[in-house]
Amino acid sequence: MSDRLRAVSGQVIAVGVALLLGAIIILMVGESPVRVLMTLLRGAFGDQEKIAGTLLQTTPILICGVAACIGLRGGMFNVGIEGQLFLGGFAAAWVGFSFSLPAGIHTLAALALAIVAGAAWVAIPAYFRARYNTNEVVSTILSNYIAVLLTSYFTIFLFKRPGGWSETPPILATAYLPEIFSFSRLNWGLAIGLLLAVGVALVFRYTSWGYGVTMVGSAPKFAEYGGVNVKRQGFIVLLLSGAVGGLAGGVETLGVHHRFMEGFAPGFGFDGLIAALLANGSPVATIVTALFFGALRSGSLLLEVDTSASREIITVIQALIILSVSAQVLIRRRGDSQAGERRWKF
Amino acid sequence: MEILDKLINVALIAATLRTTAPILLVALGGSFTTKAGIFNIGLEGQMLVGAFFAVIGSIWTGSAFAGVACGVAAALAFALAFAVLVVTFRANEVVVGLALNILAGGMTISLMKAIFGTRGSIVGHGIVGLPKVQIPGAQALLGSWAPLISGFTPIVYVAFIAVPLLVLFYNRTRLGLYIRVVGEKPEAAEALGISITRVRYIASLLCGLLAGLAGAHLSLGYITMFTENMSSGRGFMAVAILIFSNGDPLKVLAGCLLFGFADAFSLRLQTFGFPSYLVLTVPYVVALTALFALSYRARPKIIKETLASMQKLLSVDRNSAPVDKNPQ
Repeated sequence: MSDRLRAVSGQVIAVGVALLLGAIIILMVGESPVRVLMTLLRGAFGDQEKIAGTLLQTTPILICGVAACIGLRGGMFNVGIEGQLFLGGFAAAWVGFSFSLPAGIHTLAALALAIVAGAAWVAIPAYFRARYNTNEVVSTILSNYIAVLLTSYFTIFLFKRPGGWSETPPILATAYLPEIFSFSRLNWGLAIGLLLAVGVALVFRYTSWGYGVTMVGSAPKFAEYGGVNVKRQGFIVLLLSGAVGGLAGGVETLGVHHRFMEGFAPGFGFDGLIAALLANGSPVATIVTALFFGALRSGSLLLEVDTSASREIITVIQALIILSVSAQVLIRRRGDSQAGERRWKF
Repeated sequence: MEILDKLINVALIAATLRTTAPILLVALGGSFTTKAGIFNIGLEGQMLVGAFFAVIGSIWTGSAFAGVACGVAAALAFALAFAVLVVTFRANEVVVGLALNILAGGMTISLMKAIFGTRGSIVGHGIVGLPKVQIPGAQALLGSWAPLISGFTPIVYVAFIAVPLLVLFYNRTRLGLYIRVVGEKPEAAEALGISITRVRYIASLLCGLLAGLAGAHLSLGYITMFTENMSSGRGFMAVAILIFSNGDPLKVLAGCLLFGFADAFSLRLQTFGFPSYLVLTVPYVVALTALFALSYRARPKIIKETLASMQKLLSVDRNSAPVDKNPQ
């Protein structure tokens, strides 16, 4: 237990250092760090609509974060969540506007296709990673660019809404993910994300399959001697990770935009990966980190209005957080080398 | 046949050389880190800050070359940060590289907003582009083929001249040998009294130098402007090339020419009315296909290399602490 406490406190210190560095950068771009912080807080938690807005931003980050966790646990860097999100989003929209089904079933069908699309999109990189050890970081990053361009092509050349600008026709109301409150677009996608995070955590904790995945991620030789088919499992882990990435896109389309548009969810895939890294690959801890990044994103909307800083300043802060978390290894190694060596190896 | 003539001609080959230059530079930069045994996914970010600060430097000083120097300095700063975290702090290379890329993206956009008050791109503001070098006598010597050797910006020449220089560097210089030893057999490097830490720092900084030049070429070469995320994945393509070329300069050149050609060719296709979104995927599809095809072909070698790198990893973990304390 003290190990976990130390891990959490280390993470908190790292975030603190990053915020300090962020403050220096904010000073450099000629804005007051205090004003930026207050604006961020007001934008994220100012009133009930703002809080709902924060949770709305948290949802895709959380689901993408769970996708990243699945990969990280199995020793795989799925950096292609962004692309899986885009394809999943488009697939869900396509089901939403092309078919008419009863309410509920329509939503489920759309989400199911989003999941399939996400898994299919990562299938080729996953196959080559498992079979020939082709570096999955590079192949999934490159496939992101293709996914974004491809969905734009679908949207603009094949399914453009007549008279609309780079967006598909709206989906039918039967496919909507229902909203929770009347005053916000916050929808039941958040519940999907929370259930998913807890469910995946339970699978990792209590099933032998989950244990095998964790073993492959942390000690592949040991897992192999223990009878785990490492290659097949690597393939499945990446497919599952991609499937969850696709689901994130589906939830975003059905819950928030109700159509697919060009650049509909920029950066959520990367935010999810960062949230998962900060949570050290734990799906439950990802709920907390995703909420943190959701608040930053939501607060940043006000940043552009009320201060001279750009909202990308939060991207800078996120990157600094990850850098300072990764730097902890040195600090940790002094006292207890085991914990230090383990970090980011999952 | 006429269409083919329109598609493939001297202008296309010249365009290929132009588009090859930035990816060649960044990939050659990455060859230093690859050879030194570091997986450097941060090339993309180094290139991006290089492009941004080249534009800033060019505006502030009014000189394109001072701009290039600024771009290189910024890329070096990122390379140094990468080296500190990966070599000294021994953080995960993939995590640090990705985070630095994200930092580069956010930082350039934030600074753009702070300095110019605009989003999207920096155009005008007195950006001075790099001059084109006209080689005297090229026209007389080659006639209509002259555009193949003359009229490029200096950085293009630097990129192609760097290839043979790097071959010599790895085979004929002490530092080149040290870098290779550190990458391939760190335990041997250690036994020889080579400081792994120092060599990896040098490799990272050399990488930043070339990545910065590549970035400067993007923003001051043939178009004089900076746009958000203008490196658009070239750094990642370079990493793909490095994986299947193992960082050998001549193989890197071959891979980069393929991408340069794909890039130039796809621009051509666009003018023939193919949907731009599909055409733009061509370089990425080529990169992925090459990565997959070559990893299929090289599978026994890959298994051997994986085993070797695992041994390497284990031995570095166990042994490098005393080396750190005792550089050279």
